[in-house]
Amino acid sequence: MRVGLIGALAVFLSVSPTVRLSAQDTTAGKTVYVKWCAGCHGETGDGKGVAALYMLPRPRDFTGAVYKIRTTASGQLPTDADLMRAIDEGLPGTAMPAWQTRLSDGERRNVMAYLKTFSSFFSDTSQHPQLLKFSSEPGGGTGAEALRVGRQFYDSIHCYKCHGPQGRGDGPSAPDLKDDPGQPILAADLHENWRFRGGATAEDIYRQLRTGLDGTPMPSFSDLLDQKFLTEEQLWRVAQYVRSLSPPKAPEVRDVIHARQIAGTLPVSPDDSAWSRVDDYYFPLVGQIIRKPRWFAPAVAAIWVQALHNGNAIAVRLTWDDRSQSPDTGWNKYTRRLLQTMASDDSGPQTLAPWPDQLAVQFPPKIPEGMERPYFLMGSNSGSVYQWRWRSAPRGAVAGLARGIDRFDTLPPASGPAARAVWDHGQWRVVFTRTLATADTANELQFAVGRAIPVAFFAWDGSSAERDTRMALSTWYFLALDQPTPPGTFISPVIAMVVTLGLGMLVVVRAQRRDGRRAAARG
Amino acid sequence: MTRSPNLRRYLDHPFWQALGLLVLAYLVIVYGVPLLPGSSLVPSSVVLQYMVTVLVGVLIYVSDNDERWALFKQPLVAMLVEQRLRLVRILVLAVVTLLVGWVTFGQVRTTVAAPPNLRSIHPAPPAEVTFRGKTMTLTGLENPLRQQPESLAAFTAYGKEIYYQNCLPCHGDHLDGLGHFAAGFNPLPANFQDNGTIAQLTESFVFWRVAKGGPGLPREGTPWNSAMPRWEDFLTERQIWAVILFLYDQTGWKPRTWEKAEGGAK
Repeated sequence: MRVGLIGALAVFLSVSPTVRLSAQDTTAGKTVYVKWCAGCHGETGDGKGVAALYMLPRPRDFTGAVYKIRTTASGQLPTDADLMRAIDEGLPGTAMPAWQTRLSDGERRNVMAYLKTFSSFFSDTSQHPQLLKFSSEPGGGTGAEALRVGRQFYDSIHCYKCHGPQGRGDGPSAPDLKDDPGQPILAADLHENWRFRGGATAEDIYRQLRTGLDGTPMPSFSDLLDQKFLTEEQLWRVAQYVRSLSPPKAPEVRDVIHARQIAGTLPVSPDDSAWSRVDDYYFPLVGQIIRKPRWFAPAVAAIWVQALHNGNAIAVRLTWDDRSQSPDTGWNKYTRRLLQTMASDDSGPQTLAPWPDQLAVQFPPKIPEGMERPYFLMGSNSGSVYQWRWRSAPRGAVAGLARGIDRFDTLPPASGPAARAVWDHGQWRVVFTRTLATADTANELQFAVGRAIPVAFFAWDGSSAERDTRMALSTWYFLALDQPTPPGTFISPVIAMVVTLGLGMLVVVRAQRRDGRRAAARG
Repeated sequence: MTRSPNLRRYLDHPFWQALGLLVLAYLVIVYGVPLLPGSSLVPSSVVLQYMVTVLVGVLIYVSDNDERWALFKQPLVAMLVEQRLRLVRILVLAVVTLLVGWVTFGQVRTTVAAPPNLRSIHPAPPAEVTFRGKTMTLTGLENPLRQQPESLAAFTAYGKEIYYQNCLPCHGDHLDGLGHFAAGFNPLPANFQDNGTIAQLTESFVFWRVAKGGPGLPREGTPWNSAMPRWEDFLTERQIWAVILFLYDQTGWKPRTWEKAEGGAK
């Protein structure tokens, strides 16, 4: 054990000389492990803790010693620094949190030493993890030429087969993917780099391309370098291209969606170029685990919302990534695998049905005067909510009143909303339009400018077996219909500026006069 | 490294010292303080307060001595009168004017903000609740599982299992309210590691909150926002008491007791 550690530690030190080495105590590590880790990873380290069935991806099985995030060649053990990185920073997009701020340095190092004892591979002295040598990032990675080269090799090394032509994880092989233990696995949506397990930067992406994600269908591309199929620089361009698909910074949640007022007609088509000039708001969605049957593996991770109004009507564009245009029998294999994998409140076998993709936008039926709102999860018996519901098949949208998660009454279609949708390589874009005022003032929300209107979102992916209570949801946010700034608003800033400038010039003139007098006196 | 005489002149001059001090103070407050263990970002209003304090201190220092004060004023006066600094003068005037205009515009512009989310974090519990048809008096109620000290470890282990299968996605591995679903919720799930939650509460209060969830909150608890499920629909009475045992055991807090209404000690 000790002897084996020394080899690994030598590597550890060479990678990360800043990490001080202290006695690694696997006994103390076990205490930490049992208290904080075993619930998911299991007492025996097999990744089958009591919580394992309630999360996807599943917790790591330490007995197999197969790790996704490494700096070593494909098929090799990770270094201690690799393991520490996963513990310290967590794995974004999974249930694994960052422990750096939660456990002390010693506790984390000890638990790392302990989890290595679950596999005999780590104590095998003949195993020497071979560190890959990574070249440094070539410059110009955000330039058009670099991205063109990156895109070219993205196609020629077949990234698109799983990750899709636009990188949203919707490639032709995507529905058939599973990891080594046979669980369903999704090709990463390359537009959400803040959810990449091994890090968000071009450097992180390049490292993943070189090492591969062991235990998953993501291969290492190091052999293509050896075969001179492409150069290091060209592989870097792929990483830089992939990085360019996500926004420069991870999106932040803002509470209030501002709908700007425009003159003339609203863009009703999801691909109208006018939408590219409208502020885009990001809202994370999470699984519905409040009412039975719960859903622990929501497919839609987030929704982007844009809104405009023209004083007469409102247009809301919702954009979300969904790998499948459901129902799609091509995804049945994935759906079946997912149903077998996840824990469920229902007993009995789950039968597949051609479930559509769905989206709901929820408002209160009236703009509340105080802060009281209907219950965010689709209202209740005592307080209904007004919803727009769109579905992919049969394609269309309706408005209705929900009184709880299981009761939805459709309203007559007279006053809308109208909805137009496109599915484009793993992304839905839907535009709802409705007049601000309608005839049915009792049931339908009457939009008003300058008010904070509560709004919430719900999304279903049919190919992930999502329907009814199995969905992704948000809590209440707000929508505000802005007015153009009235000209009167500019009066006081202009007065303040004139006064400031006047005073400033007065000070200058007086100082110069005094200086002139002094100079004259001296002269 | 030798200091150039030019740089030295600036370093010894009270005006540039004052300016340097202000910049340094700003950097320390905005970027330095959050790095200290246990601290977080300094809110902008507090930054302003600190900066005003530093400014007053600096002004007292430079005006304390006539010679220093005269020296301090020199660059300012020069900026106002000297022909060679004409461009700087115009620039300062323009920037100050625009800044005042922008700040005033920010003050008078009306924009819609989210209404304040005023809520009572620990609303008063009812004297009794109905749990699956059974009436339970909350006042004076103790965790019945604590009456069997010999089985406490087993109950706690059972509670852990229930926690990991039900509570984990929101309340998190570390019980700090930062589970992998937490980002979707506003307000954030309760942080049991914080000394303001279970450390302040009796186990009967926690039982009430777990059993009735968000929908069971009184109005002042803003029940329309809380995503806490009504666990009565999922868990038995015994399971809820077990998970409560686990919460206190895992965080190290002691529940508030009915005899001595204190608790909150780790």
